[in-house]
Amino acid sequence: MFTRTKNLQLSVIKQIEIRAAKYPDVISLAQGIPSFDTPACIKRRVERALKNGVVAKYSLSPGLPELREMIEISLAKENMYYDWQKEIIVTVGAIEAISAAILAISQPGDEIILPSPSYTSYKEVVRLAGCTPVFVPLNETAGWAFELAKFAKAITPKTKAILFCNPNNPTGTIYSRQQLIGLAKLAAKHNFFIISDEVYKNFIYGSEEKMFSLAELPEMRKFVIRIFSFSKAYAMTGWRVGFIHSDESIVSEILKVHDALVTCAPVISQYAALGALEMGERDVLHFKQQYQERRDLICSRLNKLNNFLHYIKPNSAYFVFPKVINHNDSFAFALELLDKIQVAVVPGVAFGPNGEGHIRLSFGRTEAQINGAFDRLERYFKA
Amino acid sequence: MKTALKQFLKYYLKYITKLVLLIHRPLVIGVTGSINEVFTKDEIKRQLTATGLEARSNPKNFNTEIGLPLAILNLPSGYGSYKDWLPIIWQAFESIFNLKFPKILILGLGVSDPGDMKYLMSLVKPKIAVITDITQRYIASFADMNKLAKEYEYFIKLMDKDGYLILNHDNQRIKKLAEFKNDKTIFFGLAETGLKNYWRGQVMEKTLNGQVVKVTENGQTTEYQINRFGQHHIYALMIGLIVKKIVLNFK
Repeated sequence: MFTRTKNLQLSVIKQIEIRAAKYPDVISLAQGIPSFDTPACIKRRVERALKNGVVAKYSLSPGLPELREMIEISLAKENMYYDWQKEIIVTVGAIEAISAAILAISQPGDEIILPSPSYTSYKEVVRLAGCTPVFVPLNETAGWAFELAKFAKAITPKTKAILFCNPNNPTGTIYSRQQLIGLAKLAAKHNFFIISDEVYKNFIYGSEEKMFSLAELPEMRKFVIRIFSFSKAYAMTGWRVGFIHSDESIVSEILKVHDALVTCAPVISQYAALGALEMGERDVLHFKQQYQERRDLICSRLNKLNNFLHYIKPNSAYFVFPKVINHNDSFAFALELLDKIQVAVVPGVAFGPNGEGHIRLSFGRTEAQINGAFDRLERYFKA
Repeated sequence: MKTALKQFLKYYLKYITKLVLLIHRPLVIGVTGSINEVFTKDEIKRQLTATGLEARSNPKNFNTEIGLPLAILNLPSGYGSYKDWLPIIWQAFESIFNLKFPKILILGLGVSDPGDMKYLMSLVKPKIAVITDITQRYIASFADMNKLAKEYEYFIKLMDKDGYLILNHDNQRIKKLAEFKNDKTIFFGLAETGLKNYWRGQVMEKTLNGQVVKVTENGQTTEYQINRFGQHHIYALMIGLIVKKIVLNFK
């Protein structure tokens, strides 16, 4: 019984959230949820769809044609050219896209390389598919950069893919064009896929305005599977909608898995996604501005705790991943914070072995929540 | 947007738009269809501007009762915000006195409810009218496909009588619509038909950079490289080529 699931873990982030829910006065900087509500223009688009009675039935398995067409248009603006009819699937958020992709490209016993630290649910999806996650450490002293030589060393005949999040969750690192092209060369040489999860690509602060994606390279079409979610960019985590795109030869296989898993993404959420692409641009810019201010706030509060927490200023996403000085058990530390001061954080070990000794703090939450959490942290550390 | 503001904008923008069109008399190319409107407009614009012609197309989904006038007047939308609409209302008035206006307008005309096309055609009278595709998208607001097809009939009946109609021959519904126009109808498609006034596209090769496409018209075949993927881009290319040929003949 339960042979498939016995080695799986409920995501540590969800575990922390479940525990945190027991504390009425908890301030959570744990889960990566934007503090904002879904923009009004998106809600209006959904209201219109509801009024027109078009949300009750399944859509085509790859998604509403008008949404996929709109996705093709938006991708073209970022130098990514994919056929909406055959190369784009609307999914139930990014995690379904990742699951469907891994199930489509792998067979049990294969290996999937994951940078460490990287998003906590990746390893569980890999295990669910019967594959083995192979962790490659990122270099903290170089700003959580990845080192190509370490990835090259991790490749074996069983390697089926490298799965990463760019910008990276939890470190907020943006992988450079040069680093990514290095990975692309490895993928082409050793014939494995690159799964690029780019859900935070809209939140890049400072000089690096446009993030490079390997999906822009025509010669990498048959190696790169790119994933995007509306959850973060448009404050739509509860709608569960995203998309995946790649070459037709790959997407046609992923579509079979997607159909078997979910039939189609929720139609009402597909209309929300349509509204997001049609009218949500201004809201995304507003969110980005707000997150940048909150990033600066959380960094200024961390500076006051520099005897206890060492951090690298993130240039993207809405997480900071400080090292906890003199604490090597991040899970125990996170539980202690929850018990003693009712601040929920995610233990770094959730993001892979190289995350141990760190905690992830989200600045997707409001300024009041950030300040409230740090007031408590200051009291805790200085007690 | 509140209904009162919407009604005000609808008629305010309509009459300013008609006045501006009367003053400048641009060549209007109307593009409609359930899908592929945006790529088609982009391709028409690309083809025309490559020959040195000045053309403007409506952005994104500016193809409705409010969006179309805004596109013609080259103004943004205030969406649901009263505050954002105020300067736009003023700029719309100012546009009457603007001497600069493109010679060619490429306009998408969107249909999502009964009566939409009739209203949009009260604003513009395309000299070149294109129907890209008709599918069951937007069927929800119509009793059946015949009612939806009626919208496209209006598009043809209300276009410039001396204008050119460009139709997708691969779509059964669109093919039938040719009966509402006596002459100057040009078809495009991927199938072999043996028809005159027919442009045929064929995919020669799919490459990592896009598609190599062969377009045959009146026995003459030319090869093109498109840096996009999908059949809809072949349609868009053919429409762009047809429109370019018509416009250059006008000149």
